Amino acid sequence: MSSFLKKVNLSGVEPYLMTALIFACAIPLLFAGRYLLSGGAVALGAISLFHTRRILASMGRIAEQRIMSGIAEERLITDDRACRSQIFSSVDTLSAGIAHEINNPLGIIAQEIQWIGHLTESPSMRGIKEAEDLRDSLREISRQVDRCKETVHKLLSLARQVEPVLQFVDVNELIRSMVIVAERQAAAKKITIVRRLESGLPVVASDPPLLRQVLLNLLLNATQAIDQEGVITVSTRSLGGEFVEIKVQDNGCGIPREHLARIFTPFFSTKPEGKGTGLGLAISRGIIERLGGSIDVSSEPGESTTFTIRVPVNSRRVNATLARG
Amino acid sequence: MEKFRVLIVDDEGEFVETIVKRLRDRGLEAEGALSGQEALDLLDEQEFDVCVLDYRMPGMDGIETLRHMKKKKPRMEVIMLTGHGSVESGIQGLQLGAYNYVMKPAPLKDLLHQMELAYERKLIEEERFKTLGAE
Repeated sequence: MSSFLKKVNLSGVEPYLMTALIFACAIPLLFAGRYLLSGGAVALGAISLFHTRRILASMGRIAEQRIMSGIAEERLITDDRACRSQIFSSVDTLSAGIAHEINNPLGIIAQEIQWIGHLTESPSMRGIKEAEDLRDSLREISRQVDRCKETVHKLLSLARQVEPVLQFVDVNELIRSMVIVAERQAAAKKITIVRRLESGLPVVASDPPLLRQVLLNLLLNATQAIDQEGVITVSTRSLGGEFVEIKVQDNGCGIPREHLARIFTPFFSTKPEGKGTGLGLAISRGIIERLGGSIDVSSEPGESTTFTIRVPVNSRRVNATLARG
Repeated sequence: MEKFRVLIVDDEGEFVETIVKRLRDRGLEAEGALSGQEALDLLDEQEFDVCVLDYRMPGMDGIETLRHMKKKKPRMEVIMLTGHGSVESGIQGLQLGAYNYVMKPAPLKDLLHQMELAYERKLIEEERFKTLGAE
């Protein structure tokens, strides 16, 4: 409700309107109480907005307009979420189909490549100089088949909704070990990776391999965003003991404003053809959301890009799991 | 932590021999394999909880071996070992279901700790599977 009140900028409204507004907000809240049990927070927001709008409709056009704009904004946010989950569910269905329809032919192609390769070794082919060209060509086909297989696999892992396995994770330790993996490649481009890891971070209950995958993805993107020489800063901090925040910042090329909104969309990629499938960030967001956290991006084109992950500490949940295990 | 069964796969015979011996000293059941194929053959005969798998091996490499292992024994946890880390291969390994991607040389103490965590994960997953089956 508080974000809603902010949107309705109360300063311009007459005092009597304000009183009415407070009532108007209280009534839908009472109404909404009923829905809370079944509908959850989103329903509460939408229903209370809806009732508020109706009651206020009789109280002057200024208030009406302000609230409408509030609703519009709220609706945009909800629409975005709904749209995203729609995209994801269609990706789910699609990928199951693709896995079948593409993997099978790929399998057959791979077998035929082997067979042709075998034929080029036969005695009658010996001494024919084109045989070697043929084998070269087969190797290339084989490489491309592998590439297709990999994309299909990534697409599948985007759709696969495996429930995370929660274990206690020392986030700083996990980051340190993944930074070591990225450091060699970074050093080759004269990139320094700075660690700013807050000590005394709460131990979080999360899925270690999934977190590692996300971190490596962000480190890979950061390394690729820097042409030559630069700094990647990985930092952590505790957010009131409820969440742990991880930031990966690079001082690379940045992301143009018009791309920012689409950066987590499956198959959206600005990398050159063949470099990256455009699934890394989509998969990363899927993972972080499954872990009950959030991932955001901000960027100053030409200056820097920052990815911010927040993962819940979740300790009660894991205690229950480990006690059973 | 109770004892569990470990498979070490690396083409460096000495490394495998040393680590298998030291793990057995600590009361674990440990076996070694010198190639991906040897490891896969061993999986047909024996059960393991955790596998430590070298990334770079002649013949079938670590990633290919991992792919086959996860088909054969989806619940066995695999820790990938790598001499010179590559972020891409790390992501690939984790995406194929590896538990961790560890840079060499890894002190035995650290590696053992990772094995214990991997084993803990396997237990949680088995427990979850049992609960699901019971419903």
